[in-house]
Amino acid sequence: MLGFHHRKGRWTRRLLAGAAALALAGPASAEEIRLLISQSPWLDAFIAMVDEYEDQSDNTIALDVTPFGGMVEKTRNSLRADSGSYDLLALNSAALAEFYAGGFLQPLDAIEPGLTVPENVLTFGDSTHWSAEKKAFDPAGQLLGLPINGNVQVLYYRKDLYEAKGLKAPETWEELEANTKALKDDKTYGFVTRGAKDSILYNFTPYLFSNGGAFFKDPANGDYSVVLNNAQGLEALETYMRLAKESGVENPGAVAQAELIQLLATGRAAQAIGVIAAYASLNDPSNSIVAGKIGTALIPAKAGESHSSAAGHWMASIPRNVPAEKQAAALHFLKWFVTRDAQIDYVAAGGVPVRSDLADAFEGDETFDFLPAFSANAAVSQMNMPLVEGIELKDVISLELNRALIGEISAKDALNSAAQKANDVLVKAGYTVTPPGQL
Amino acid sequence: MQTTSTGRRNAVWRIGSLLPAALLLVVLSIYPVFNLIGLSLSEVHWADGQSASTFVGLDNYRTVFADQPVYWAGVRNTIVFAVLAVTFQMLLGFCMALSVQNLKGVPRAILTAIFLLPIVIPPIVIGAMWRLLLGRDFGMVNALLQAVGLPAVDFLGNPNIALFSVIGVDVWHWTPFVFLLLLTGLESLDQEVFDAARFDVTSGWQRLRYITLPLMLPTIIITLGLRLILSFKVFDEIYLLTGGGPGTSTEVINFSIYRTFFAQDNTGLGAAMSVLTLGAVAVLIVVVNGLVRLRRRREAKA
Repeated sequence: MLGFHHRKGRWTRRLLAGAAALALAGPASAEEIRLLISQSPWLDAFIAMVDEYEDQSDNTIALDVTPFGGMVEKTRNSLRADSGSYDLLALNSAALAEFYAGGFLQPLDAIEPGLTVPENVLTFGDSTHWSAEKKAFDPAGQLLGLPINGNVQVLYYRKDLYEAKGLKAPETWEELEANTKALKDDKTYGFVTRGAKDSILYNFTPYLFSNGGAFFKDPANGDYSVVLNNAQGLEALETYMRLAKESGVENPGAVAQAELIQLLATGRAAQAIGVIAAYASLNDPSNSIVAGKIGTALIPAKAGESHSSAAGHWMASIPRNVPAEKQAAALHFLKWFVTRDAQIDYVAAGGVPVRSDLADAFEGDETFDFLPAFSANAAVSQMNMPLVEGIELKDVISLELNRALIGEISAKDALNSAAQKANDVLVKAGYTVTPPGQL
Repeated sequence: MQTTSTGRRNAVWRIGSLLPAALLLVVLSIYPVFNLIGLSLSEVHWADGQSASTFVGLDNYRTVFADQPVYWAGVRNTIVFAVLAVTFQMLLGFCMALSVQNLKGVPRAILTAIFLLPIVIPPIVIGAMWRLLLGRDFGMVNALLQAVGLPAVDFLGNPNIALFSVIGVDVWHWTPFVFLLLLTGLESLDQEVFDAARFDVTSGWQRLRYITLPLMLPTIIITLGLRLILSFKVFDEIYLLTGGGPGTSTEVINFSIYRTFFAQDNTGLGAAMSVLTLGAVAVLIVVVNGLVRLRRRREAKA
């Protein structure tokens, strides 16, 4: 976690500002809000915010902290019951479309008419809204959630090694490859890739989008025809594999998030693309021998193409199957949580913010050097599987990408096979799609 | 008249005493299986907060056979896993049981405690522990290998080795179970047979080959069957060690079912996979039972 800076003056200011924000947000009613939340690295920061909210409000919050692996099942069980067990649900971006499309959630503007996403609150690829007609995230659709943790991927690099070798943060994949070669030696991996089967799609996503590729033809308008296997997709996968293999670990197809963070924290890896939530532990001297030496940057792109990061954020949504007063209390907390003052405290407590206007609040404080890179990546973050069948599609595409990475099949075969299998899933689910071609 | 009345009372008693167990069996075993079969013939969709179930006949089974290569990779790996892991467990477990049987007093107590240690550790802890031990860059096993001048091995990351690493961990975990059952079997053998055989057998090998093994065969078959069936249930160790990868190198049946049923929420297809697996395990139980009965019949004839 980020260092918890207990500064009396700031906290007093925040307390007063928070109280004012609460007063503006509406009258608090004494309700217990039952909240299902994942046991993630940012949990302690979230708990600190729950404590802060309870100090300022008559409401209380009962947290059901659940390991990540059990979150989806608990969420389904609660939402599908006649009466829900939770008044507020933390939903990971990977399963967001399923819950949005299932009709289980209460639109936030139905609880408070006229409510919109507050200015400067990030929407991570419009994932706050869902259009039932388009079957897609759409700012014109219903407002179904607000973000509570902005976990996007960023480029991590060793500032000290960059300085020693006279390198600068790469703008393009070519520059990243050049840096990687310069940094690799007997003891250090130049660049580490998170290529394990359950991680690879998330890790590969920025490569695909920033090479001009895409998974689907026009998801914003509901056209989910698979276009993964084209020249841009191939270039993206070949770049991904080159970076993974040439200066990285021997078998990148087995590296998951924990290993990636471990390799960075022990100084074995000089660069990696990883989640921003890892920044806190990488800069904590009790967890990392490279604390204070880790820099963050915008993920590179192909020269001339737009930058991209994969959204891995958490949203909070309110179920339909709980009483109206519980819904109102849950929304009261949610609106307070995304205020600028609350978000400043959240960052100070070690959380990953969901606003784009916090950088100036921590100017000059090295502990929060990640904020500019976070904001830059959050601004270009995209959902990779923005549809109900996202988890099934993730599984079929990930397997083929992973097989290419471990050398079982070629990059071209992997993309062709992934595209065909993804198309089969969509056809079976009733989508009208154009079949993918062959590379 | 009295005989008829006694017979009726006996019948009532028999039915009455069996009824609670039968009801439990119906509620906890038979109903869930029929429910699973019903689920495998349908597809469930959720819209507007409501579920809609559609009867699809055998479509899910067709999909399993025609369009689920990962499931079949899991079937192949599960069979390899079960055969290799159980074979090594049986051999090692029997050797350990023989060695402990010949000991007495404190050495026996110490050795038994050491042998049994892995079985009391929860599988989830074993997965985490061995993941740390076998890690390529920071694992203790590689540190030891490198200390004696050998190259580091990527036990869990190399797709050609990963399954065997997982089998090794399972052997370490479950051999004590085999040891315990076989030791119990060895200790229950009639010592008079061994005493009588002293005049006919001249070596320890002959005693093992012609007396111990034949007498132990029923215990060995039961233990083998139990371990084979239990090995089909492997999940938690692999989940933590490799997550089923790299590729499909350590994918097992339960992984495919878990992913399909829970992660993808594809209950019909997941149920079809479960029914097929359940059928395969049931066949295995019938085969093991058949072997035991055959053996008993032969013994009875002899």
